[in-house]
Amino acid sequence: MRKVLVLNEKDNIAVCLVEMAIGEVIGQDGLNLTIQSLIPRGHKVATSPIAKNEGIIKYGERMGHATTDIKVGEHVHTHNVLGDRLSTEQVV
Amino acid sequence: MSKELTAFERSDGRWGLRNHVLILPLHSAFSATARKIADESNGAVAVSHDWSGEIDADFDRIVKTISGFAANPNNFATIFITIGTPNELGIIELARKLGLSKAEVLNVAELGSMGKIAEIGLQMANSLLKEAKAVSRISAPWSAIKLGQECGGSDALSGITANPALGVASDRLVELGSSSVLGETTEILGAEHLLAARAITPEIGAQIVETVARYERSINYEGIDMRGAQPSRGNIEGGLTTLEEKSLGAAKKAGSAQFSGVFEFADQVTKPGLYFMDTPGHDTEQLTGYGAGGINIIVFTTGRGTPTGSAIVPTIKVATNTTMADAIPDLIDLNAGTIADGLKTLNDVGGELFDLILEVANGQLTKAEKGLHHEFSLSRMYNTIIR
Repeated sequence: MRKVLVLNEKDNIAVCLVEMAIGEVIGQDGLNLTIQSLIPRGHKVATSPIAKNEGIIKYGERMGHATTDIKVGEHVHTHNVLGDRLSTEQVV
Repeated sequence: MSKELTAFERSDGRWGLRNHVLILPLHSAFSATARKIADESNGAVAVSHDWSGEIDADFDRIVKTISGFAANPNNFATIFITIGTPNELGIIELARKLGLSKAEVLNVAELGSMGKIAEIGLQMANSLLKEAKAVSRISAPWSAIKLGQECGGSDALSGITANPALGVASDRLVELGSSSVLGETTEILGAEHLLAARAITPEIGAQIVETVARYERSINYEGIDMRGAQPSRGNIEGGLTTLEEKSLGAAKKAGSAQFSGVFEFADQVTKPGLYFMDTPGHDTEQLTGYGAGGINIIVFTTGRGTPTGSAIVPTIKVATNTTMADAIPDLIDLNAGTIADGLKTLNDVGGELFDLILEVANGQLTKAEKGLHHEFSLSRMYNTIIR
């Protein structure tokens, strides 16, 4: 069974289809990465290194940016990502 | 070869997929009586709301919603309970203009007691239900289907399972000549540039972008930080991180067809094609607005399992994940989680959903209909000044 879903080849994240434990190895769809943090089902894992302020790409589209450097295999979520669009946003 | 579509033809040429007798209070104080009549009748439905005739900035929006809902083609007849004020009588007149051929009126000012209203209302409802039963479905064109797209309680799988599966079904219906409507302005914020690029003219594309910009201006004016509300706490727990991410996934419901136009909230959906309607993200307000716009069937994708349904518009629930679909089978009509399980393809599930839409259009009851999930909410832009 597939553990992650890659939605678009331009993406730098994949969606986890099962909960991921630290140390788990993903070797499908040309990926070769080791999970660095506990990732709940349905959440995103970085499939490329993402630098601070770089875009998070899902469906081949930019859905926000990194607020810190993100390593391959790390959980990508609200603790390290902010949306781009909202005028009220304060980048920390 | 698809099965034939059948529906109820209304006198003005519109098509109903149901044949309801609706009891509709025009003042919040008559809500309990409306429900009592429906409960004691042989199958009438009722809704209730909190409007008491206030004239404020939302007056036109409320009048449009109530009159449009009364005139939805899924209604064989609507019984209004009114105190008889000019505003209330104006709503009945508007519903007639929108095509409601059977508008019955219970006037509290003339009849006096609520007991009498309930008694006469019950006789009226049962007599109309008898008339409704005598009307048969006939073969209908694909343009009879006016599909509303909705998502509620989204999770990270919404944008990869249920929403794109609905996109497949919507594309097929649009190609056959049905109407299909994407709504929820809040939930396309961040993805409007992608939808605008699919408009049939640059003007329509600009309208999509402006509809979202207008919404953004209004929330900035109110000083609201959208990050607090969207994505919601449930969305974030499900794995959605930003509003853009949620919007990209929400927009997958509209498939890949071109957009033929943009509607204001509760505008009448009359022509075939794919449209965008400016509706709020609140599930029940949005469902009510669709009903007021003459939409006669809804597909509602959900990641967390939302019971919300409509008294008059059949609402098909599509689960985004198998865990939830298995946990609440009494709410879910179709499980699109099989796509994420690697068991079915997007096209398989899109095809199953298309077949289910046809079955439901032809009379098969949805889980929300069986469970009597008859929610109704008026959408307001401003605070009510009289309260």
